[in-house]
Amino acid sequence: MHEFSLVSAVIDSLEDYSVQQGWGQVKKVTLRVGAMRQVIPETMQFAFKTACEGTSLAGAELELVNVPIVIKCPKCGRAWGEEHMGMICPYCGCDDAQMTQGMELDIDSVEVEDDGEKED
Amino acid sequence: MARKKIDISQAVMAADLGYAQKIRDMLKERGILMVNLIGSPGSGKTTLLERTLAGLDLKCAVIEGDVATDRDALRIRATGTPSVQINTNGGCHLEANWIDSTLEKLPLDGLDLIFIENVGNLVCPAEFDLGEDYKVAISSLPEGSDKPLKYPLLFSEAGAVVLTKVDLKPYIDFDEVLYWDDVTRLNPHGRRLRVSSVTGEGMQFWLKLLYDWCDAKKQAAKGE
Repeated sequence: MHEFSLVSAVIDSLEDYSVQQGWGQVKKVTLRVGAMRQVIPETMQFAFKTACEGTSLAGAELELVNVPIVIKCPKCGRAWGEEHMGMICPYCGCDDAQMTQGMELDIDSVEVEDDGEKED
Repeated sequence: MARKKIDISQAVMAADLGYAQKIRDMLKERGILMVNLIGSPGSGKTTLLERTLAGLDLKCAVIEGDVATDRDALRIRATGTPSVQINTNGGCHLEANWIDSTLEKLPLDGLDLIFIENVGNLVCPAEFDLGEDYKVAISSLPEGSDKPLKYPLLFSEAGAVVLTKVDLKPYIDFDEVLYWDDVTRLNPHGRRLRVSSVTGEGMQFWLKLLYDWCDAKKQAAKGE
């Protein structure tokens, strides 16, 4: 249930930005979540909806963009995903493979109401 | 009303990562090693800590994380080691901002090693950087040999994986070959240890690892 901690951190950050940059109503929040991050989408949606109540983000939609796991071998250059979960290359046996994708946990972007009067 | 899209591109936990970095900088300067013990409830974290503190000739302190009670901190204090309890009141993990404020309550001068015993859980604590040097994954024989692949994040990022309660092996159907194969696959360079806090089996290798990590930390501090 670390989803509540994550959405609280998202809301805190975005409320700060909103005040600093004079945003209109936040309509949508997009997060990039790596598959390695053990985030349950339904729990995240529920936590976001609940935690947004009473904040300036109330009613905002949450979009979760799932980033699949990619692990690359530095020796033979081949890449694989969750199907061969592990850091030992299934092709050449090198044990120095690196996860190049799948650990993301980022606020990608927001969509806010724009009255068109001013910007940036 | 029209909408506009604003790029943020920022880590969700940016604020907490700031605390983790602050802790890491402070501990680096002081040459204090910090080890974050993560495992299920009942995996033997506190018992391992008790035996470890009894066997280590180092100045240690312990931060205990639990949903409720100060029972673990009391057990640690009984060993003569300073300990502070954090109660998360339902929270499933510790966060760096709590560690930051808790460190103020510990006698840091002359300290060699700080253990954090995280809230019992194989999922959430793995997600949060507390400013530690190493996370240590602790799982016990009775939990079963399938844990590494079921909880890949913890087992892949741990500096060491410690299998506890190995004295129970004659009584439990545990596929140890499978367990270590999976650990090795997820984390080829992590240290792999098997211990029994009851019989003391394997404890010398665990203690040696902690001494080695402490020495390396002190050397790095001197090199600054």
